[in-house]
Amino acid sequence: MNTSDSEEDSYNERSALVQCESPTIPSYNQDHDMSLPQETDTKRRRPVSSGLDEPGPVERERASTPDGEEEELTLKYGAKHVIMLFIPVTLCMVVVVATIKSVSFYTEKTSQRLIYTPFEEDPNSVGQRLLNSILNTMVMISVIVVMTIILVVLYKYRCYKFIHGWLILSSLMLLFWFSFMYLGEVFKTYNVAMDYPTLVMIIWNFGVVGMICIHWKGPLRLQQAYLIVISALMALIFIKYLPEWSAWVILGAISIYDLIAVLCPKGPLRMLVETAQERNEPIFPALIYSSAMVWMVGMADSSNPDSADERQRNEGGALAQEGVESEDDAAQGGRRRYSAEEDLEEDRGVKLGLGDFIFYSVLVGKAATTGGDWNTTLACFVAILIGLCLTLLLLAIFKKALPALPISITFGLVFYFSTDNLVRPFMDSLAAHQYYI
Amino acid sequence: MNLERIPNEEKLGLSRRYYLGGFAFLPFLWLVNVLWFFREAFLKPTYTEQPQIKSYVKKSALGLIVWVAVLTTWITIFQHFRAQWGEVGDYLSFTIPLGTA
Repeated sequence: MNTSDSEEDSYNERSALVQCESPTIPSYNQDHDMSLPQETDTKRRRPVSSGLDEPGPVERERASTPDGEEEELTLKYGAKHVIMLFIPVTLCMVVVVATIKSVSFYTEKTSQRLIYTPFEEDPNSVGQRLLNSILNTMVMISVIVVMTIILVVLYKYRCYKFIHGWLILSSLMLLFWFSFMYLGEVFKTYNVAMDYPTLVMIIWNFGVVGMICIHWKGPLRLQQAYLIVISALMALIFIKYLPEWSAWVILGAISIYDLIAVLCPKGPLRMLVETAQERNEPIFPALIYSSAMVWMVGMADSSNPDSADERQRNEGGALAQEGVESEDDAAQGGRRRYSAEEDLEEDRGVKLGLGDFIFYSVLVGKAATTGGDWNTTLACFVAILIGLCLTLLLLAIFKKALPALPISITFGLVFYFSTDNLVRPFMDSLAAHQYYI
Repeated sequence: MNLERIPNEEKLGLSRRYYLGGFAFLPFLWLVNVLWFFREAFLKPTYTEQPQIKSYVKKSALGLIVWVAVLTTWITIFQHFRAQWGEVGDYLSFTIPLGTA
């Protein structure tokens, strides 16, 4: 009896999170804190009452939350939504790990660094290395903060054209330049001869169709696939160009920044979202991954919901460009956007910012690079998924946009360091002594 | 975006744009057009704009087949004769495999 009956209703709704069903479910007050001026999509424009869980005619279902509370919660998301996010996150991580393990280019350390991490890590002295990585982190985070604030200011003063142009430029760079590099490295690794005409055709097609799908209109699955691919490409760039220790410190610092920026009242991301909400307008073709479910066949209310949903992530030129990672700031740990259940009973699914994809993949990719063996990689992968699950649970309870990075990254870091330093030697020595447990 | 939720005229417009766009050396766009609008064009009950969408899908499919044939031919020729072409072969190559003639 769930309204979320789609054809693929293979997920048992009677799991931990139960989806609320109600034809006239009031929309929850979403504060999108999608930091990126993301979507305050047209959904918002629909008349939604902003009540919360207590509408009279609503049928509630008993929710058995993981902690076993038997309250009558009307939780927004069910297991289906969790799965809908697991799949793309997993795919992104799989692509990144597969590339790292096979194409050696992304693990070769070069002396070339991003301008955002100017301090070199000297492998000889631990203290010096630590200090330099902390300084690198501070530089990077301040760059991100500045970019976010610029974005908020631009948005407040309605400089939409500028933002559009910026976003288009960065996705152009990602879709053409980074994929060109990636293809080149893959061909070199597999020792395949490739000629320029064919290569130009491939890159041209890939890039143009990508721009069309992401910024304009295209099939949902293709758009999702493109978003996953560009997140993976970006993550690979980070893995290659961030120095070892700096990467870990940056991951930690970004989660903290995410937490602050999204939840504090004066946080830039939150202000962005609130401004967008006040203006009640759809935001740029943004880069937010939207796992929209199958629409209920029905009302021909044809305002186009999806176009507004994407949050554009600005992939700043990581390498040399002026355009900084606005995607980072924007995408900072995906704000999870929440979709109001419209009176048309359509479930829009959950949205996750692309920054989240990127940083999750960076964590798992680095674990694959430096961790040594598959135990560490798998442990990080599981940790991130658990974190994602918990974040979704919190999202369902609190019903406002939340930062997606902190919990997952914390778990990921904890699992990485403990697996690397505790579990791995343990397993190695068990194997060496041929002792099976 | 979901095709279910947009009106038929918009679907037609979308299909037309994808078709026209494919002429810019974009067979992939034609492929997307075919796959995305296939159900609309052939498996749905008839509506006003359907014959036009059908024609766009068919023409896109045709263009796609032509491009695939051209590309396959070129790739086969290149891979086979690359070594023999000497300098021209190298000039055309983006990556040259190591360890072979």
